[in-house]
Amino acid sequence: MNAWLATRLSAGLFWSAVALILGYMTIPALVVLMTSVSPSELLEFPPSGFSLRWYERALTYPDFQGAFVNGLIVTAFASSLSLLIGSAFAYLVERYTFGGRVALEAILASPLIVPHFTTGFGFLLLGANLRIGQSYAVVVATHVLLTLPFVTRSVYVSLRNLDPALERAATNLGASPLQVLRRVTLPLLLPGMAGGWLVAAMLSLTEFTASLYVTAQRTQTLPVAMYTYVREYTDPTIAAISALLITFTTILMLIANRYLGLRRILAIDAH
Amino acid sequence: MKGEASPAVELIKVSKSFDAVQAVRELSLTIRQGELLTLLGPSGCGKTTLLNMLAGFEVPSAGSIVIGGRDVTAVPPYRRNTGMVFQNYALFPHMNVFDNVAFGLRMRKMAKFEMARAVGHALEMVKLEGLASRRIRQLSGGQQQRVALARAIVIEPKVLLLDEPLSALDRNLRGAMQVELRELHERTGLTTLFVTHDQEEALGLSDRIVVMSRGEIQQVATPLELYRLPANGFVASFIGEINRLPPARCRTEGNDVVFEIAGGIVLRARKRNQPTIGAGQETHLFVRPEHLTLVEGDRPAPNRVSCRVTAHLYQGAYTLTRVDAGPLGNLQLRVLGGEVIAAAPIGSQIKISIDLDKAVILAG
Amino acid sequence: MIASARWRAAPARPRPFFLWLFLPSLAAALLFVAALCEVAQYAFRVFTPGSLEAGGFTLENFARLARPIYLSVLADTLLISLATALFTLLLSYPVAYAMVRAKSDFVRSLIMLLAVTPLFTGEIVRTYAWILVLGSNGFVNSVLKAAGLVNAPLTMLYTRFGVIVALVQFSMPVMIIILAAALAHVDRNCERAAANLGAGPAKVFRHVTLPLTLPGIVSGTVVIFAWTMSAFSTPQLVGGGKVLMISNLVYLQGLSSFNFPFAAVLSLLALAVAIGALGSMRPFVSRLERKAAVN
Repeated sequence: MNAWLATRLSAGLFWSAVALILGYMTIPALVVLMTSVSPSELLEFPPSGFSLRWYERALTYPDFQGAFVNGLIVTAFASSLSLLIGSAFAYLVERYTFGGRVALEAILASPLIVPHFTTGFGFLLLGANLRIGQSYAVVVATHVLLTLPFVTRSVYVSLRNLDPALERAATNLGASPLQVLRRVTLPLLLPGMAGGWLVAAMLSLTEFTASLYVTAQRTQTLPVAMYTYVREYTDPTIAAISALLITFTTILMLIANRYLGLRRILAIDAH
Repeated sequence: MKGEASPAVELIKVSKSFDAVQAVRELSLTIRQGELLTLLGPSGCGKTTLLNMLAGFEVPSAGSIVIGGRDVTAVPPYRRNTGMVFQNYALFPHMNVFDNVAFGLRMRKMAKFEMARAVGHALEMVKLEGLASRRIRQLSGGQQQRVALARAIVIEPKVLLLDEPLSALDRNLRGAMQVELRELHERTGLTTLFVTHDQEEALGLSDRIVVMSRGEIQQVATPLELYRLPANGFVASFIGEINRLPPARCRTEGNDVVFEIAGGIVLRARKRNQPTIGAGQETHLFVRPEHLTLVEGDRPAPNRVSCRVTAHLYQGAYTLTRVDAGPLGNLQLRVLGGEVIAAAPIGSQIKISIDLDKAVILAG
Repeated sequence: MIASARWRAAPARPRPFFLWLFLPSLAAALLFVAALCEVAQYAFRVFTPGSLEAGGFTLENFARLARPIYLSVLADTLLISLATALFTLLLSYPVAYAMVRAKSDFVRSLIMLLAVTPLFTGEIVRTYAWILVLGSNGFVNSVLKAAGLVNAPLTMLYTRFGVIVALVQFSMPVMIIILAAALAHVDRNCERAAANLGAGPAKVFRHVTLPLTLPGIVSGTVVIFAWTMSAFSTPQLVGGGKVLMISNLVYLQGLSSFNFPFAAVLSLLALAVAIGALGSMRPFVSRLERKAAVN
């Protein structure tokens, strides 16, 4: 009975610790939600009332409106390009051997290691040298490189889990390489590609450090506009925008978990 | 020897349910000191759950478990002193052979010198001397199996638990390991519980076999008894090949028992000492393929039945011949050699004799 | 000649669509290399104050790194990154363990959502949130004051402590994902075998679970270390200019003083430290993985 009690006790301690740690991870988001509905311009806990005025200001502030549209444009192009390039590359790495494969793999995985400000600074200089400055093209290119490793990884894991016998079976039944790709490989890779695209889109939408370097006022994305605002004003407008982003992200995660499985997207169970 | 007086393991009305599924129902079982007992049953019959409860990985929903005279129902796995060999061996990949085998002794804080000797002895027992410093990955499947065995026996467990330990080996190795397992058991004298779904393994290895189905024990018997006198229809058809005849009414006629089967067929057997068979009772007859024989020409033979050959399955040493025996249904007989394939081609009419004296007769 | 003839004779494996798959990846890789080369070449150019155009070749920019102010920023960066990596590991392991081992599906999914969602809300949102939490009128101080634990608000914003608190929360999702993957690969039967051989829960963890997840622990810690080295918005906003890391210097030099050459040197330095950290880990982890490789 003693051992039983000890086991119970340590299990209780363990789960309390886990709950506390998760609380530490979650409290900032809750504080943002709380602040966003506060009527006061100054920080106060608990809020003295309930007001949606900061949401109104956030949604009508021209810089945010422009930045939001910019961000959507950049994200749409960047994540789609990233999906195309990343899927192709994952297929290449999984199926073919060719000279320089290792080098290519290392280069395309390196944006994970290279500090974002180094990447951003590099693309800023590159854009300036090519005389295309801080244009959409430069911003999109930066985001493609930054999100590529995630898409590649996600598609690669799906490819590894794909039974090669299925493709051979299709070939054996008379399907041409293109037909095999269209009728068998791609449909089976779809969940992995969807997961990769989702991760790419979320990262692109919220990317800040590199974007700070490669965007100008004209092309700035939402996080950059938010940063600029935080440096100038202290009112909770940013809390309102943040609350919207947090809510949006949480719902998206719930949906992704329901339909794609977060474990699979994040490759936790991958072998 | 303590012998019959103190059993090694006792399960008393043990039940286990997972959510709505009852994996084990009020099961009672005694394992004798030093015997090799096999739990045999199809997958999902509850044998693995039973093993896990003995090791302490699952806690029974009801009932109690006694190992070596001590109630261990609420004792955690690490205080039970049961040595388990896992199906996938579960060798520690980050330790070498020696450290794997020594693990249990380290947990028991055995002195270094003594430990080295015990590990050496255990490795000798499984014929792995000289491989102590090998990494696990460098071992073949059969060698890993032996390390797992050595690791389990070195702690001198009160009961050795083997969870389908041969299933991961290829067929040739499995036969050899069976012999070695049996020899190891003779040498160590450890009470052993062996879990398998393979009836050949069970018949070949065990002192006694426990046949399980749907969380309940169907029969506990020696391999010989089990094959000759299965307690019920499940056991009869689970162990070996058997023909199940249509239900029959039986009565006694002098020294004979007479079975009347629908369709006007009458079969006879010598009266035997089987209390379950009473006059007028409905009975089920089970006959093994080796107890059905071909009858040549018009030679007299007991229980002659005409039938039509439907298939031959050549097995090398013998042929399994399938016949359509009219009201008796489809039967399978075992004929030595392969000559029967030419002698009684598919579609031909033949006569067979049913040796009911060796049949299994169960009350309905 | 013979060798090459044989090579030709060997039937080439068909590679459908090879170029279609290869060219986009190659273009992306070239683009990235070009961007890094730009940084590298600017590092060797003369800075002309007041001009965006850099001059001729010089090593002056690298010599400038040796100034005490820059060395202290570098030391701070390393210290903060190291502390962040270690605390992140300590706090992430229990969560990853709970996430992988919880018996109920619901609990596992809940932990997963709580632990991973912050990764996708973006650094600005999270950094801003920490300003609200740590500020002198912020959440923590309000709670402490209401509880009567403090009279004057604690200073947490604009301190190393505050920066580390925010960075750890920032890094945990990634660490949890890495650790969870490592834990998911541990054969549960190995733990059961250890228990069967007499190891209590603590010993099972110490002798089996921990060693088997060591590769994940090491790579997670180093990844977070490298990641934190390049953190920008957190030291920028939570540190408020009082806590400087390399990233903030790059920003100051590059986008405020327009000293592109020195910003380039600092960028290269950060890159070198990150690569150095990961590079030094590689042989260590692969040795651990060889040791722990589950067959």
